[in-house]
Amino acid sequence: MCEIRTEKINKYYGQIHALKDVSLEIEENSLFGLLGVNGAGKTTLIKILTCLTDPTSGKAIVHGFSVTDEPDEVKKIADVSPQETAVAPNLTVRENLDFFAALYMTDDKEYINSIINAFSLGEVLSQRAKTLSGGWKRRVSIAIGMISKPKVLFLDEPTLGLDVIARRELWKIIRSLKGKVTIILTTHYLEEAEALCDKVAIMAKGKVLAVGTPEELKNMAGTDNFEDAFVKIAEGEL
Amino acid sequence: MNNKKNTIRNNRALIFAGRNLKEMTRDPVIYIFCLAFPVAMLALFAVINHYSGGKSPVFEFPSLIPGVITFSYSFIMLTQCLLVSKDKTTSLLKRLYTSPMKKIDFVTGYALPAFVLGMIQTAVCIVAGYVISLFIGSGYIGFGRCLLLAAEQLPALILNVFSGIIVGALLNEKSAPAITSIVISASGILGGAWMPLDTMGGFESFCKILPFYPSVYLGRIITGATHTPTDVINPAAVTVYSFDATGVISVIVLSVYLLAAIVLSVVTFGSMMKKAD
Repeated sequence: MCEIRTEKINKYYGQIHALKDVSLEIEENSLFGLLGVNGAGKTTLIKILTCLTDPTSGKAIVHGFSVTDEPDEVKKIADVSPQETAVAPNLTVRENLDFFAALYMTDDKEYINSIINAFSLGEVLSQRAKTLSGGWKRRVSIAIGMISKPKVLFLDEPTLGLDVIARRELWKIIRSLKGKVTIILTTHYLEEAEALCDKVAIMAKGKVLAVGTPEELKNMAGTDNFEDAFVKIAEGEL
Repeated sequence: MNNKKNTIRNNRALIFAGRNLKEMTRDPVIYIFCLAFPVAMLALFAVINHYSGGKSPVFEFPSLIPGVITFSYSFIMLTQCLLVSKDKTTSLLKRLYTSPMKKIDFVTGYALPAFVLGMIQTAVCIVAGYVISLFIGSGYIGFGRCLLLAAEQLPALILNVFSGIIVGALLNEKSAPAITSIVISASGILGGAWMPLDTMGGFESFCKILPFYPSVYLGRIITGATHTPTDVINPAAVTVYSFDATGVISVIVLSVYLLAAIVLSVVTFGSMMKKAD
């Protein structure tokens, strides 16, 4: 079943044409990667899908709700873990989770505890968020994203700036979410997209150039290496 | 149905207010600037006045307390703008924009805790003044007048709370405190907390149209403060602050600033939410 559908989305910022006729279909409970160099339009697309900005033209449907006509409904079923660490710094991890749970009117203590266990947050639960390392902050940030029981979760560069160990730890967590929620992941790390994503869209200059599984994209580019495939597609060599 | 929607909305504003109260009270800045500093200023001015023979009416408690209370609200503005600008920097706000919270939830959620802290600050100033008056053995403002004074200062408090939201929404974490420090200095000088503006003619008239002095002036009417003597022939002549033309102007000026701050904070926050794109 299709969870997210965009039809010919265009977005202009003044004279800048940030998104050009972007049409995508994302399956329910899949992990979908958005890949592209800086300025490709990934973040703009996510902003449209999370109702932070309206498209100039085109249509976007998330879980059956239009982002332009029913933003309140979309906000109830979608959550986002932004690129920067978006946690309340002077609140403990527990208080952060409780705060967001209360905002989304989720009074399910059992579910909150299951998130704490799934993200192994027990040991830092009473620690203030600002005292956590970068890796733990990201982990808390994604856990907060899950606290609202979203149907769709947007992860914007979740492992940016993390060391290899912290990144692998987060990969495990993201993998554990597969099949439970539709995840849209933006990343610069090609190995991350290849390792985690069911399908990937490669974007450049506001356009979607190719969509497929990492294997399909490699076959399309005629190469065994995903990075080579990405470069070929992004540079328009196909 | 509408009632249920409103309850949920109120809840979200209150939940956000609860979080903001925790953030504010866990920042040591608030104890230094919003509590310790006003009390230290009260003590300093009262002691100086006492040991210099009590010659400056502006440093007598009925004048000093309204001045210091109004001045101290600028620190509430500082705390407020720091919180809003930090939330912008950490992207917490961006995340919250994607939640079901509305513009009004954000503004209410920021305003409520700062308002509560401002009320506590007012009480601390009044009680601290009383304790200091016991130490130096001078008279103090009556209890009823103190309550009225606290009520009279509310518009100035609300003005600072909403101004903090505006500055925090418009500026970043580094520039917001810098701009607020200008307001803090202006509030102290142009509010007449420790400067006898009533002896300064044209300069006093200028201060009457700024947002600081009107609240102090109205407060001094309530506490029964006396003007600084300007009568050269009879310097002992005492004139008590009364609800005169300046009092009326003060009410009007304060109301205009208050209304403007509330409207502007909602508009500014709305525009900040749109700029998230």
